[in-house]
Amino acid sequence: MPFDPTVLTSHLDTLLAGAWLTAEVCALGIAAAFSLAAALGVLAVGRGWAGRLARLYVDVFRNVPFVVQVFFLFYGLPEVGVYIDAFWTGVLALGLVGGAYGSDVVRSGILAIEPGVVEAAKVGGLSRLAIIRRIVLPIALRTAIRPLGSVFVNLVLSSSILSMITLDEVTGTARGVASETYRPFEVYAFLLAAYAGLTYAVSLGIDALHRRLNRHMADNGAAPGVIHGAAPGVAHGAMGGTA
Amino acid sequence: MRHAGFTWHDGALLAQGLGVSLGLFAGTFLIGLVLGSAAAVLRHFRVPTLGTLLHTGLELLRNSPVLVQLFLVFFGVPALLHQPLTPVFAAGLTLSANTAAFVYFIAVAGLDAVGRDQVEAARAFGLSRVQLVRHILGPQALAFAVAPLVGLAVNQLQVTSLVSVIGVVDLTKAGDILNLRTLRPFAVWTLVGVLYFAAAKTLTLLGNRWERRLRAHAAPLGL
Repeated sequence: MPFDPTVLTSHLDTLLAGAWLTAEVCALGIAAAFSLAAALGVLAVGRGWAGRLARLYVDVFRNVPFVVQVFFLFYGLPEVGVYIDAFWTGVLALGLVGGAYGSDVVRSGILAIEPGVVEAAKVGGLSRLAIIRRIVLPIALRTAIRPLGSVFVNLVLSSSILSMITLDEVTGTARGVASETYRPFEVYAFLLAAYAGLTYAVSLGIDALHRRLNRHMADNGAAPGVIHGAAPGVAHGAMGGTA
Repeated sequence: MRHAGFTWHDGALLAQGLGVSLGLFAGTFLIGLVLGSAAAVLRHFRVPTLGTLLHTGLELLRNSPVLVQLFLVFFGVPALLHQPLTPVFAAGLTLSANTAAFVYFIAVAGLDAVGRDQVEAARAFGLSRVQLVRHILGPQALAFAVAPLVGLAVNQLQVTSLVSVIGVVDLTKAGDILNLRTLRPFAVWTLVGVLYFAAAKTLTLLGNRWERRLRAHAAPLGL
């Protein structure tokens, strides 16, 4: 049977509803991942037990496949009495894994800050929290935002795995459409392009954010390839089936 | 009567699943490594049309979910070409192509990191393109690319967990089967997670050792 994408037109509203759900779960997941990444990144720099615990957390969530994490949260937790529905399990799972990958980026961003800056803030009498909020994180994010962007792109791709826990996001609806129309090639080819478009939009947003965060810098963030601070394996992370 | 407890045979099932996961990972990673590097070399020598075509295709592969790629190959290709594929073949094809896409971008960065003057010097000495890649570009690009490649390997090992969806009995599928019989998902998924973690950690350790050997000749950074 020849390639014929017009079979999709009558199912476009179903697919768009799925795409909207993907966008929702991804937006919430990215927000959760960003907060967790910033918190863990700050903690992981420390030497004490908090730092060790944060690094252990990152180690566990980076080395276990995302599917297994999702199955554990959705099927494993109810066994011990914790019930979370598919949507919020998805948000939680994306937040947990994105936080782990992102914290590595934030951590190397923090380690790249010149010590004198932090010392000056201490001498100036700022509290620990104020130093982290006003000095450390804004500077670290300037270098970390691009690699964080790759982590977020990977989160969007990972969200397709949530179709395996009954969440009807765009991959889940596409499976339904494929079995209804008997045209799997057209459906999945369309889906492939749709995800590529979605991740392109995310990376455009990250570029804009990068320019905004670096607007006071001499090179205005226009210098290409700011890979400073990217931990190896982050910029291209597949995140257990994310890519 | 129901046999819902864990038995010794479950250990064999998990071990078999782990073997399938590791085998699939090793095979597809090697194929991906070869294909991705070859594509990067083609791009480096600015082969017209083919280079651009490869670049676009690999960019698309890198920016779409592996799950959708698996569905496209396993369900889509047979429907289009009337050529049924076995799950293992479809999984191998998809993961190899996906790995190649990531290797390509790492290899391109590695090749670009080698100084232009070295290439010109090699040309002046009359080295052929094959000799240039083999003796000048290859070794240096590899030393540059080894750290990202180790990271990629750990990721691709985890990506293999997705092939359970199209019916390959890997470690995740073994966990799924075990879960259906014992109805103890908490214990099963914890165990499966621990096994993946151990495999990934071992891979990281091996990778780091290899990286130290490759960089042994380079001067320490003196930080």
